[in-house]
Amino acid sequence: MKKHIFWTIERALLLLVSLIVLFPIFWMFLTSLKRPRDAYSISLNFKPTLDNFAMVFAEPWNLGSMVLNSAIVAGVTVLISVPCASLAAYSFSRFRVKGRKILFFMVLSTQFIPAVVIVLPFFLMFRSLGLLDTRIALIIVNLAIVTPFVIWMIKGFIDAIPVDSEEAAMIDGASRLRVIRDIVLPMAAPGILTSSIFCFILTWNEFLFSLILTRRDAVTLPVGLVSFRTERGDLWELMSAAGVMITVPIFIMAMIIQKHFTRGMTAGAIK
Amino acid sequence: MTEVRLVDIEKRYGGFLALPKQSLTIEAGEFLVLLGPSGCGKTTTMRMIAGLEDITSGDVLIDNDRVNDKPPKDRDIAMVFQNYGLYPHMTVAQNIGYPLKLRGISKAECTARVLEIAEKVELEELLKRRPSELSGGQRQRVALARAIIRTPKIFLMDEPLSNLDAKLRVTMRAELKHLHHELGVTTIYVTHDQMEAMTLATRIAVMREGRIVQLDTPKKIYSEPVDLFVAGFIGSPSMNLIKGEVENGFFVAKGVKIPVQFSDRCDVVLGVRPEDLEIVERQRANIMAPVYALELTGDATLVTIKDGATSICVRGPADFEANIDEVCHIAPRKPEKLHLFDKSTGERLNS
Ligand SMILES: Nc1ncnc2c1ncn2[C@@H]1O[C@H](COP(=O)(O)OP(=O)(O)OP(=O)(O)O)[C@@H](O)[C@H]1O
Ligand SMILES: [Mg+2]
Repeated sequence: MKKHIFWTIERALLLLVSLIVLFPIFWMFLTSLKRPRDAYSISLNFKPTLDNFAMVFAEPWNLGSMVLNSAIVAGVTVLISVPCASLAAYSFSRFRVKGRKILFFMVLSTQFIPAVVIVLPFFLMFRSLGLLDTRIALIIVNLAIVTPFVIWMIKGFIDAIPVDSEEAAMIDGASRLRVIRDIVLPMAAPGILTSSIFCFILTWNEFLFSLILTRRDAVTLPVGLVSFRTERGDLWELMSAAGVMITVPIFIMAMIIQKHFTRGMTAGAIK
Repeated sequence: MTEVRLVDIEKRYGGFLALPKQSLTIEAGEFLVLLGPSGCGKTTTMRMIAGLEDITSGDVLIDNDRVNDKPPKDRDIAMVFQNYGLYPHMTVAQNIGYPLKLRGISKAECTARVLEIAEKVELEELLKRRPSELSGGQRQRVALARAIIRTPKIFLMDEPLSNLDAKLRVTMRAELKHLHHELGVTTIYVTHDQMEAMTLATRIAVMREGRIVQLDTPKKIYSEPVDLFVAGFIGSPSMNLIKGEVENGFFVAKGVKIPVQFSDRCDVVLGVRPEDLEIVERQRANIMAPVYALELTGDATLVTIKDGATSICVRGPADFEANIDEVCHIAPRKPEKLHLFDKSTGERLNS
């Protein structure tokens, strides 16, 4: 009986939290389907339209190029960051080198620095390099932000893999790199996939650096969103449509992670 | 055939001295069994030979080649790990075949070899499973199969049969013995099983707290243990150790008076194995005490007699019968099977 009551309360609270969290998102979806004149009404009784999506992809908004920018920046960041971070994480996890702890702390300490503090130096650097408003600049910055985090995350997964199998493989005649390829990577794969998606989401959502370092060519989606605040007022229905475009890929990825996340977490527990 | 030499090796874990400085030569083609209580450094010794553990000081020589800085893969060693070290993401067949795969052996040949070895360790029906779907003993056999699928310079086997049932253990033991006979590969083997040690070893090294206390043939170790520790460790049931003293050519303790060829001295320990004692009629008895317990082992009865602090086990005939607390008369079979040790140092005394 007691259990039943707890269960009910638990469910009710979860439902409440979900409602609070999900309602704005739901409203954004609704607004993205509204005509401009319905945008401010709270009535659910309106005629849905896909015009907004057509509009944001057309001139002058050009959401298409922003989607491309975001996808390239996030994708390339993941492709560079995750392999490097995996090797770094493996080294931190397995090699008992002098100063290993300090080194690892230094990697993590990069995360303690607030972005606003370094955004101006970065701006000046990229200006003198002539890299302002390029995807390369964004990729470099995102790599710097994301890689330490990914190292830390993958290290957690690798720490959980017992070294026994690795030692056995070395005795069986495998070199260190072969061990990583044949033993560590397959076992850490769910964890590495999870970390990749985290990395992608972080980069995809990154706002501040993108705002400061881009102007026209390399603008990413989150920054593009701001351009819907015009002199004519806020174009909520267009902003919502763009918002949906930002959210949907993340939704899909979150769904993929969900399936792998528990696997990643328990991967080390295989006997 | 390969000779392994450990020269003045020492191993410390931080401040903890796991293996004090000592040397050991394992001759080419030898089957050396390491025997000793838990935590005495058997696994550590093997891991140093394999190259998985740094050596604090000293050298490991394989065929006179100093290998201290050689990575494990270049030492051409096959090892059965105490905790198996299987590859959880591979099937049993892939696990067993991995050493061959690394050597670039063709798929077809690999499959054939895997099947052949799997039959030897009775795993042929489980080849498609993953290690997590196996029992402890099955996993252990995968580890064993993975080691013996190729012919290395040295086999290191850390309790490779510890998790098998009695019958399988005997089969596998014979299999290993045959393998050693056939290939003559230098083998270092850890076991807690007396029978395994006795039947497989060309020499046994008894270790205690990181130190090798006796290194000799199984026969010698059994018949002439150098000290109380080895005497008590080898043999099952273990050797009777009776505290007492030598007086006028007799060893005396409570209920015990046995003629011995030692000069008089106090504080000695008499060691005699249960099978070197026999139950006799009253007049011939050297030991007299009430029966404390009777255990039928099948081919014999183990009779434990106890008088005060002295407790003595004797191997009697299977049809021996007596009541608890009934006085039992015992005598040693042969005087040369009596061992005398110094009580304080534990060392063997010679007459
Ligand atoms: N990584 C380590 N760090 C610190 N001490 C260790 C480490 N590995 C082993 N030891 C210690 O070294 C000693 C020898 O360990 P080892 O594993 O060689 O024992 P063993 O003879 O194989 O025992 P068992 O029969 O239980 O397997 C033990 O006292 C153990 O606590
Ligand atoms: Mg051990």
